[in-house]
This record gives sequence, structure tokens and C-alpha cells, in this order.
Amino acid sequence: MNQVKKFVSKNAVPILFAIVCLLGVYYAEMPGQFLLMEIVKRMARNSFLVLSLIIPVVAGMGLNFGIVLGALAGQIALILSTHWEWAGIGGLGLTALLATPLAALFGFLAGMVLNKAKGREMITGMVMGFFANGVYQFIFLFLVGTLIPFDNPTLRISTSPGLRNTVNLSRLRGVLDNVWTVQYGFTKIPIVTFMVIALLAVAIWAFFKTKLGQDFRAVGQDRHIAGVAGIQTDRNRILAIVFSTVLAAWGQIIFLQNIGTLNTYNSHEQVGTFAIAALLIGGASVTRATIGQALMGTFLFHLLFVVSPSAGQAIFGSAQVGEYFRVFVAYGIIAISLALHAWRSKSLSKVSMEEDVTA
Amino acid sequence: MKRRLSLVLVLVLIFGLIGVVEAAALPFKIGVVTGTVSQGEEEYQAAVKMVARYPGSVEHVTYPDNFMQEQETVIGQILQFAMDPEIKAIVVCQAVPGTTAAFNTIRDMRDDIVLIMGLPHEDPDMIAGAVDFAMETDQIRRGANIAELAHRMGAKKILHYSFPRHMSMELLAVRYNNMKEEAEKLGLEVIDVTAPDPMGDAGIPGTQQFILEDIPRQAELHGEDIAFFGTNCAMMEPAIRASMEAGIIFPEQCCPSPFHGYPGALGIEISEDRKGDVDYILEQISAKVAEQGNSGRMATWVAPINMIFVEAGVELAIQSIQHGLDLSDQAAVEEAVYEATGIRISLNRYKDDANFYLVIADSIIF
Repeated sequence: MNQVKKFVSKNAVPILFAIVCLLGVYYAEMPGQFLLMEIVKRMARNSFLVLSLIIPVVAGMGLNFGIVLGALAGQIALILSTHWEWAGIGGLGLTALLATPLAALFGFLAGMVLNKAKGREMITGMVMGFFANGVYQFIFLFLVGTLIPFDNPTLRISTSPGLRNTVNLSRLRGVLDNVWTVQYGFTKIPIVTFMVIALLAVAIWAFFKTKLGQDFRAVGQDRHIAGVAGIQTDRNRILAIVFSTVLAAWGQIIFLQNIGTLNTYNSHEQVGTFAIAALLIGGASVTRATIGQALMGTFLFHLLFVVSPSAGQAIFGSAQVGEYFRVFVAYGIIAISLALHAWRSKSLSKVSMEEDVTA
Repeated sequence: MKRRLSLVLVLVLIFGLIGVVEAAALPFKIGVVTGTVSQGEEEYQAAVKMVARYPGSVEHVTYPDNFMQEQETVIGQILQFAMDPEIKAIVVCQAVPGTTAAFNTIRDMRDDIVLIMGLPHEDPDMIAGAVDFAMETDQIRRGANIAELAHRMGAKKILHYSFPRHMSMELLAVRYNNMKEEAEKLGLEVIDVTAPDPMGDAGIPGTQQFILEDIPRQAELHGEDIAFFGTNCAMMEPAIRASMEAGIIFPEQCCPSPFHGYPGALGIEISEDRKGDVDYILEQISAKVAEQGNSGRMATWVAPINMIFVEAGVELAIQSIQHGLDLSDQAAVEEAVYEATGIRISLNRYKDDANFYLVIADSIIF
């Protein structure tokens, strides 16, 4: 009995979310085929991005809202690759390669800033995302076509400087997904994309077994003790953000090759919030995140996204109430998960304080 | 004889009624995707109207208010229709980003489905390849039209309110340029005003507040003979209110329609049975404008263009499925739209090889 209680209280958020999702599935009465198709697609699109958040959490830097920087690096590489007309899986590989140094540079700069703002990494990361967005818009809406010579009629607005608001990624659309797919009814399961995600999961797991991985963990547990033990904490923190940013850049490339169109000025905006919401729903917290939680969270978060409009419509009988229903359920639960975490860490610290007193 | 005649009459009546009922039920279904009322009341109401016209045959869902950020949900909502084999047409208005991606996916799955977009947001060259039929207000011709209309209404200068994200849309950028060119010919000056992006950090309220504060400022600076033009829907209500108060000229909205901004700004109540009644609303606006002494300085299109996109989209889909209407036949499409909505619009092809039409309707000055 005690064990059950412990399990429930430990996994309260995913359990709550799973219940709501099941209710949603029940009321939505969706064709199972559609449900399966959407979930497979969304898992393939988003898992990589969510996984890219794990390393900074373990390194004690909280949820990396700065993955927006990585997404931007990925998009810059995609814009250039569209300009140079790279195509196919080779083109996608080259694009990822092109994005890597950019993302590493962004990650390095972000890491430097975050080291100056220890303890406030999350809000700093978020604001950095806004800042980077402004710089990005400035470059692609103003400098391209004025200071930066760029004359590609399919990419540039015909009458003024700046890139068009949508970039057609037709040459790269689905190239990774379609290397090897298994058809099940309507659903095309992109085996290679899932293999890439699995590879990343294994790599993260293996990474934490290495010396560097252990150092990250030590820094995450207690920065001061790690420092005393001779670990270069600042350098490790920067490295953690660099890894995360590079992974996010690749994740964004995988995401966009699946969608097939790039919204030049918007595709990156919500990357951080959505990936973080998914991770939290999987039961992760600001200080602890595992691969299983990331994948579970991605699954649950997107399952609710798929079923809630129809469920809302079925329950309330109006198309738009369905939409509001989805928004308040999804974000309500995320708010609960954050509150639960705060409440739990508070009671934990209380327990440890009591223990201190009794000792 | 009399009896027989009455029997025949009764029979005619009954069959006539059955005929009407049959016309309302279609042998297939059509999916309609619009925004919620917080994004645009017109498309939503038009879709509700179509559901009522074809009960059980038209299904209506909405895309998220945050469509820019929740593109995956936009795609999912559209794709959901394609899973139902009875759905033979999908109409999306406004075709927000993600629609093209969804249509491309549907094309991979099915080829027996008519895909229609109203007011596409994505790049025209890109969407042209994905749709069977698309309609958009004719931004290219509108540029010059607005300048000409403003001139006719007595404007000396045109204030163009926009922000970078909108100016990166090809058609809006072209419209702006055409407006500027025509204005120069007519001796008008076009003044750029950059407003906060409603999708930015300040949100819609930030934009609306800016509009409310900036119009009186501009009127003080440039005098009353200036015309307001804004590129964003959220600007319209505060802009109409502020224009009335400052006494400046308002040639038309971003999406011209008597229902867009006017009722809210002028405090016109529309009862349930008057919803979508164009003549009534035109009359009301005229009266209110005259009451506040700004006659001859406020205008819009006679047709609520976004509503027409939804209605015409559904009707054209039916025509094309049931009667094989050729959607690339411009004259036939114009005629079909007139039959369906009772409003004459003029079409203009955007590109030779695609059914992407640009639409213009007549203006009315109150």
C-alpha cells in the first residue's frame, strides 16, 4: 500500500495527464488510425528536441529555454541549404553539419551569459531566446538584401529587402523519414527517424557513464563541492549548454524536414516552451530528468493535443469551445505540474530540515 | 376538376419541399476549418451558416488562436478530415501557416478530395502547388485602389500601419509598393508607421493601444485630411473608433467588410436574426457615421469578403464535385460565386498555371 502511494505521489503529474488523455480519447471518438498516425508523426518530430533538454537539467542548469538558439541555428542552416539547393538525405546531413558550428557558437555564448547568472538560468535563457529572435529578424528582414547581398527570387521578397515569411523545404521534405518506412494502414512509421532518436537516447545514457558525464552530474548536485573536488564547474556548464544547443539545432532540422515548410520568423518561437512542457508532463522537474520521462512526456503532451479539440467539441458541442478546452486543460496541467514540483521540493526540504534537527 | 387541380398543387408543393430538403443533404461531406471568434468572427459565422445550410454534410472545426505557435495542431485539425472517406472537400479560411503542409500530406494519402484555401498566409508561389482552388483579396490591385479611393475621399496623406512580420509577406509588400506608386502619381504622400506586432511580446492589446494613441497624434501633426490604412485585423476596431473621433479618413480595412470592426467601434448591436444581413449593417453604419459627423470619410467594401470566401468555398466545392465545375475557368467561377452569394466579385489570376485567384469587390462610402 505504501509503495503504491509512493509511486502515485512520485508520478502524480504523468498519471494525472494520462487520465485526462484517456478521457479525451474516450470522448473524442477518433478513428484509431488517425490517432496512431498523428502520434507517430508527432513523436518522430518532437522527441529529439525534448531529449536535447536533459543534459543541462542534469548539470544543474534547469530547463534550457535557450534551445531556441539551437533552433535558430538549425533554421539558418536550412535557409542556406535551400538557397544552395541541397537535396536528399545527403543534403540534410550537410545541413546538420552546417548547423553544428553555428549552434556550438550560440551555445558557447549562451553558456557564458548563464555563468554570469547562476541560479537564474531559466529566466535568463528565456530572455536570451527573445533577444536572439530580435537579432535573427534584424538579419533576415533587414540586412539580407541590403548589407548582405542575396538575390534568390524564391527566397527574397520581390519588392524590399528581407526573406519571405515561408521557405519551401520541398527538397528536404521527409528525406529522413522516408529512408525506410513501414506502412501500417494510413500510418507510415519512419523507422530511421526513430532510430536516430533511439541513438540519441543511448548516447545520452552512455554519456553520463563517462568521466565528463559524471562531472556534469557532480556539478548539478552541488556546484561548490564539485568545484572543491577539482571539477571546472564553469567550463562544464558551458559545455552542457553547447551540447544542448547543438542537439536542439539537429532536433529542429528533423522537425522541419517532417513538416516541409519553414515559417521564417515563427517556427522557432515556441520550441522551448513546448519541449519543456512535454518534459515536465513526463514527470521531470527542474532538477531531475530522464530519457524515459522525456519520451513519456512527449507522448502524453501530444496525445492531448491530438484528442482535445475533438473531445471538447464532443463534450461542449461547439467547435471553438473545443479549442479553448484544449488550451486550458493542457496549460492548466502544466501549471499544476510546476506547482506540484515546488510543493514537493518544499516538503522535501522540510523533511531534511527536521532530520537535521533530530540529528 | 377543381379537386384534381388542388391535388396536383398539393403534390407539387410536397415534391417541391422534398426537392428543397434533398438539395440541403449532400451525398458526401465537406470539412470547414476557420478561426475562433476571437480571431475573426466573420469566417466563423459563415461556417456556422454553412453547417446550418447543409446539416450533417458540413463539418466545422477551428484552428488554435495561437496558430503561429501551434502549427502542428493546425495540421492535425485539417488532416483529421482526410481520414474520413466521406469527406470530399476541405475548405480552410483563413489558411494559416501549416495549411500547405497539411494539404501536401493529404495529397500523398488521397487524390479524391478537393482542397480549397481562403486568405492564405503562406507564400503564394508555394501554396499554388498544393491547392485546387485558392482565393485571396487582391492585394496587388488593392494597393492602387486604396490610394485612389483615399484621394477621392479627400486625403492628402496615407498612413500605412504595419510591422516587419507582415511586411515579409510577399503580397502585402507588393500592395504597399503599389499603393506608394499610385499615391505618388496622385500627389499623395504615404507615411510608414510601425506598430507593435500583435503576435509579439505586447500581444493584441499592445497593438490596439498603440493605434488608439497614435491616430490622434498623427491627426494633430498632419491635419485631418489623412487616411488610415492598417495591415492587421486587430487594429481595425480601435482604428475606426479613433478615426471617427479624430475626423480622419478611413478608406477600408485590411480585410474589407462592413462587419469587420465597424459594429464594435460604432456600438452597433446585431441581433441574432440580423447576423450576416449585409443591407441592414450598411444602413446602420451610414446612420452612425452621419450622427457623428464623419460622412463621406468612412468606407468599406459592400461585401464581407471573408464570409464570401467560406461560403463560396463550400459552394464551389459542391459545384465541382456534383456538376464538374472547372475551377480553372475564371468566368464560370465568377458566375458560380454570384449564384452562391448574390455578390459580384471580380477575379484576377495570380499565376497562369494555378487556380489562385485574387478578388476585388466594390467600395461603399458612408
